[in-house]
Amino acid sequence: MNFYQYSQLTFNDVFQFLNAGWVTLSLTLLSIFLGTVLGTALGLIRCSKNRVVSALPLLLIEPLRNSPLVAQLFLIYFGLPTIGLIMLDAFSAAVLAISLNTAAFFAVLVHNSVISIPQTQWEAGYALGHGRLSVFCHIILQQSLRLLIPQAITLYITQLQCTSLVSLISLIDLTKLGQNLSNRTLQPFLIWGIVFVIYFALSYPFSRLSKYLEKRFAFDY
Amino acid sequence: MYQLNFSFVGKYLPMMVSGVKLSLVIIVGSMLIGIVLGTVFALFRQSKSRLLQAAASIWVNVLRNTPFLVQLFFFYYGLPLLGIDTSPVATSIIALGINTSAVNCEIIRAGLLAVKTDYYECAKALGFNRFQTVRLIVLPIALRVAFKPLTSNFVNLALTSSTAFSITCMEIMGVAKTISSNTSRPFEVYILIILLYCIFTYTISFAAKLIDRRIAIKL
Repeated sequence: MNFYQYSQLTFNDVFQFLNAGWVTLSLTLLSIFLGTVLGTALGLIRCSKNRVVSALPLLLIEPLRNSPLVAQLFLIYFGLPTIGLIMLDAFSAAVLAISLNTAAFFAVLVHNSVISIPQTQWEAGYALGHGRLSVFCHIILQQSLRLLIPQAITLYITQLQCTSLVSLISLIDLTKLGQNLSNRTLQPFLIWGIVFVIYFALSYPFSRLSKYLEKRFAFDY
Repeated sequence: MYQLNFSFVGKYLPMMVSGVKLSLVIIVGSMLIGIVLGTVFALFRQSKSRLLQAAASIWVNVLRNTPFLVQLFFFYYGLPLLGIDTSPVATSIIALGINTSAVNCEIIRAGLLAVKTDYYECAKALGFNRFQTVRLIVLPIALRVAFKPLTSNFVNLALTSSTAFSITCMEIMGVAKTISSNTSRPFEVYILIILLYCIFTYTISFAAKLIDRRIAIKL
């Protein structure tokens, strides 16, 4: 087998794409799940009436939203081991970084969608004799979900694309595979074209869904 | 117990300043490209020609649904094959500008939609042709409406620009990587970078708020 043959794209590379695609997909699903759970908690704390309590999550949210994900990823992957904290492998570090990042953005979405429900809805609930929790669960929650869901899907798509950054910490996801193959085959247009198509196929349906839901859920008071 | 040590800052300060400068060049350059392309494609999307609409729609959807890093590598490895030999800095400015133009297009289009048809009719009554209407009446209003979301996209762009180091740009993130491998103090270095970015984005959002208050208009 000469070099020229080796450098060609072969059938075996399909499995490489499947592997790398699975890394991207599992990373995305895991981190958006964890991010959603943590983000919902932070967002609900943000909605607290106590000013001090509602400001607390900002300590975590603001630095995460205002700094690049790459820096956060590197801080966790390269930084944490040197200060004697846990040493994570690339995949766990990526999951941790991306889920924290998702959580920060998700918390803001949750907070915004809850406070954008008019105060009159709360007052109407109280007037009917409901407690704060009961008003929230029966009146506010459904309405804020209509606002939240389309935006959440958009956020998930963004995070799917952010997972491409994990190729910088030597995890073989779609982007890293694209880089490897394009170096091997010297056909960047073909390889990056395939990678483009895979990412596009993963995220385009959801971005259509988000647009559709946004129209479907739109309502006026 | 680990002792934090920021003494490397003194030694590497000139390097960091040059990194910040390069970052600013990349951010500002790509935002300019992004706004121009974004405006053009927003006008395409609002135009009557089906062809232009489709072109703009494909442009926006492809760019918004693929990761920036992949686009960056596409340009970095692809452009030389087309005979365009650019420096990493130029490549990252072009890639970032094109990437951000998609979001800018959506924002400016929302601004265009906010301009009511009355304005078009008024312009027609005053004898403006289509080009004059867009240039003198519609765009100034639309861009004012779009100013606030454009600045938040600018902040996003600043954060995304940190990936430019992956194609060997020595902007602030690239400098950080070099410093952290020279000093083996990655924790302090990346904390510092995160702080720097926070300061930068807060300054931008604060300035944007002040400017927005001055140029805001009621439609």
